[in-house]
Amino acid sequence: MRVLIQVRPSPDLVAAVADPTVAVTASDVADGLPGVVLDHAFAPVAVPRPVPATPGADPLSLNQPLTFSMRPDEASVVVCGEIADDEISTRVSLLPMTRREVVAVYADPVIESCLTCGDDPAVGDWHDVERLLHVAELADEGLDGGGVALAVVDTGINAAHAERVLGHEITVDEDRSWSPHGVSGKPGEHPIDHGTMCAFDALIAAPKASLLDIPVLLSRRRGGSTLDGLLSDAIAAYAHLRDVLEAQPARSRALVVSNSWGSFSPRWDFPPGSPGNYSDNPAHPFNLIVGSLAEAGADILFAAGNCGRDCRDSRCAFPDRPIVGANSHPKVLSIGGIDTNGERVGYSSQGPGRLTERKPDLCAYTHFAGSQAFGDTEPDSGTSAACPVAAGLVAAVRTRWPSAKLSASQLRTLLRRTADDRSDVGYDHDYGYGVVDAAGVIAALRRRAARAA
Amino acid sequence: MRKVLITVRLPHGANLESARRHLDLAEDEVDTGYGLIPVDPVNDLYAMRVTEAASLRVAGSHPEASGPYADPPIAPMDRIEPYGRPE
Repeated sequence: MRVLIQVRPSPDLVAAVADPTVAVTASDVADGLPGVVLDHAFAPVAVPRPVPATPGADPLSLNQPLTFSMRPDEASVVVCGEIADDEISTRVSLLPMTRREVVAVYADPVIESCLTCGDDPAVGDWHDVERLLHVAELADEGLDGGGVALAVVDTGINAAHAERVLGHEITVDEDRSWSPHGVSGKPGEHPIDHGTMCAFDALIAAPKASLLDIPVLLSRRRGGSTLDGLLSDAIAAYAHLRDVLEAQPARSRALVVSNSWGSFSPRWDFPPGSPGNYSDNPAHPFNLIVGSLAEAGADILFAAGNCGRDCRDSRCAFPDRPIVGANSHPKVLSIGGIDTNGERVGYSSQGPGRLTERKPDLCAYTHFAGSQAFGDTEPDSGTSAACPVAAGLVAAVRTRWPSAKLSASQLRTLLRRTADDRSDVGYDHDYGYGVVDAAGVIAALRRRAARAA
Repeated sequence: MRKVLITVRLPHGANLESARRHLDLAEDEVDTGYGLIPVDPVNDLYAMRVTEAASLRVAGSHPEASGPYADPPIAPMDRIEPYGRPE
């Protein structure tokens, strides 16, 4: 997290900072603050001290007539820096106590007002995403998803629509697809909706992947008409996916599971701390089966959610920490969203997560003109689009790197390590470890292959 | 009748009928459409959906069973229904 640090160095130094003809660096003023990475590009700024205009008035009150003193023995200096998100509360408390020149540490919030929000038009199109994911380079490496099972756990896929927009044939593996009890319709022939968008977006990086159509969100067991299901449907789907994985030969095992859904509200959940709770409870059966499938070798990706502080979805009802349940599971990749300009979309949920603090893990592209699943001019949006975009990259990697050669855990680490870090201190709760970087992944795989040869 | 989610440890290879007998459940207390789902085969842990009353009875009388667990609705994280931008 970026912070402003107010320090009171020697009067000579304050005078130098206040003098525009003298160059003073952040290190001159506040070097060696523990846990702080100074922003050396930010020149220290002298800040005047507020002084009561009336002699003898309360020196601490700002609600009175004030004058402002730039006298070197009264003014202070502000520098910029960054503190790791998971250390922020400790550092903010300890810094003024351990370093007497530190007066206070303040938040330095991003004040730009142009983050992409839900009602904004598309930022770029899916060909931009292709370029940003280095799809041509992936294909040159033989990483096109060929033969890799890529499960889209969603509202069902309409293959004809995806083929028309993509401009090439796609593969839906009917035999290994699965539907909840009571859901009709053939795999790949569901109405054009959210699941079609997810399938389309996954195929950007892995055009030859074999899609497994898993329409859990079409379940009507609640009797409703909206597109939602129950978590128990997802448990059953994951049991099927584990059978799919275990039926594969151990040497070539590869299954990528993309989940652009989640629980928006604690209303139907037991409270955190209750044995039956889902949002915060690793022992909930869905969280157990997610762990079990990941342990068996599947790569599982979940959307981080659309409850980002800047412009969250109106359905978001968790008062804080909106990355809940399996979306924050330690063995999945939780995916936030950035637009094709590389900026976090304002609705992308921020961490920490509930099952694991360090969520989201990564960011991938969203809010671009893509599948046209919701109409010609509607973008593929939400972390719903970012998740399958990242899942496609994972499926592309799996083309030549099955889990026997690169375990699911190793692949998660590789993706985090190669991500384009968006802060100076590594992990942050907006972008996670950074933006997925296909070029970095390719380079890392080449090195790995060379070591193995 | 409203059904809820429970888990139970059963001998390897259990099916819905053997689970129902093991837990003394009547047929109409069980969501037969949902079936018996292996959650963690290594530890022989299964999930099933039963009536709320049955879940409390089973959890009280069978230490190998636990629940009820939350079974919340899940929804796609798709088009944003905006609150609007912050002022």
